[in-house]
Amino acid sequence: MLGIVQEQHPDRARLFMQWRRMDWPILVDSLNLLGVSVVPVTVAIDEHGIVRLVNPRRETIEEAFLDRTFEPPPETAAPAGEARTAPGDPPGRWAPVAAWRRHARDLFLWGGPEAIGPAVEAFERGASGAPDAAATFRLGVAYRARYDSPAREPGDFRRAVEHWERALAADPNQYIWRRRIQQYGPRLDKPYPFYDWIPEARAAVRARGESPVPLAVEPGGAEFAEPVKTFSADTRPATEPDPTGRIYRDRGEFVEIEALAVPRAIAPGAATRAHLVMRPNLDRRAHWNNEAEDLLVWVNPPEGWDVDERPVRVPLPPALVSQETRRVEFELRSPADASPGRVTVPAYALYYVCEDVDGTCLYRRQDVTLEVEVRR
Amino acid sequence: MVRTDPLGITASSSLLAAGALMAGVALTGCATRDDPPPAPPVIEVGRPFPALHLPDAADGRPRSIADFRGRKVLLHVFASW
Repeated sequence: MLGIVQEQHPDRARLFMQWRRMDWPILVDSLNLLGVSVVPVTVAIDEHGIVRLVNPRRETIEEAFLDRTFEPPPETAAPAGEARTAPGDPPGRWAPVAAWRRHARDLFLWGGPEAIGPAVEAFERGASGAPDAAATFRLGVAYRARYDSPAREPGDFRRAVEHWERALAADPNQYIWRRRIQQYGPRLDKPYPFYDWIPEARAAVRARGESPVPLAVEPGGAEFAEPVKTFSADTRPATEPDPTGRIYRDRGEFVEIEALAVPRAIAPGAATRAHLVMRPNLDRRAHWNNEAEDLLVWVNPPEGWDVDERPVRVPLPPALVSQETRRVEFELRSPADASPGRVTVPAYALYYVCEDVDGTCLYRRQDVTLEVEVRR
Repeated sequence: MVRTDPLGITASSSLLAAGALMAGVALTGCATRDDPPPAPPVIEVGRPFPALHLPDAADGRPRSIADFRGRKVLLHVFASW
């Protein structure tokens, strides 16, 4: 028995294996190099490496595969794919895109964490011109991997989603790619919660006296959220906290905010999930001040648009000051009669931030915009 | 957990998409940027399984189906979401 798991984050696969006591080899195919478009798929491969059955039936697998002896193929056909297991030198300046794609793949798979930056650049070169959908998807995977790494660059998450959406538009039957977007998308689009098994897995592993595999990136709200059949708009009366904009602005001096809607393009009446990722500016030694009111996000949706929570309040941790990344998520729904076109949704965050651990603490507002495109 | 995609698409139809082998391309300075991109590996009954090397989830080392030559393999492709 052998497994290949389609998973952006390999450590989540390791936790899954630990929980389920999977002691057979499992390979991680973050880039979907295998090219499968749905899971699960079972493949019976004979002793000569030849595929004999795809999705064999349980009742007949013994007779049709396990109890049979297969003859070697009459001629040795070279299997598709390649056998590189280490990154080589970069291709030459005028090398074909195919060479850059192979180099990007090798850097991504075998180059270690420090190779993610060069891997992204190689994927970008490999996706130049008119890239096929698979190359576009893999570039998105690389952007997301860089976003999750210390080499993160501003806009990496947005670029990842952009490329996944572009790939899916070219091949809407590719459900591995579709799931990558739904993982971060609105509850209306989700077929299942995705990572709701993680708390259960950790509890089960601890109950066995083991330590759960640590995760480099904890799943966020979208990755746990339960799917819903109908959008639930927040219609409770609420008072806008700073309607006239009197609170002093933070223009990124203290907190950097990356705002993104997933998906970026929606049909009229469809929903999108807003992600606000907020990081204290470490170069300026900025800290969250946790002694006062909760962090608050207020959104002013265009006429006819709904929001599922307003305002969004983020409870503060117990430490007096902290520097963690804060992720705020909420969902928006466009009106059923929305006209096609680009829509800008304004929002702002209000928070207390300190200039240093013992520095002056200030109450600041930061304005953000969410770009959503309505497409029929 | 392993979940089945609620799709009308059969796995075989999605996997049997025709495609050429990932052709080796010489890393020379005279190639053009217009060379056709490699097609994805193909899983097709009667053909060798693609010679992909992927990281082992346990330790990150490269492994391939070819490592199991001489033994029958039941390969399960799944997702952890």
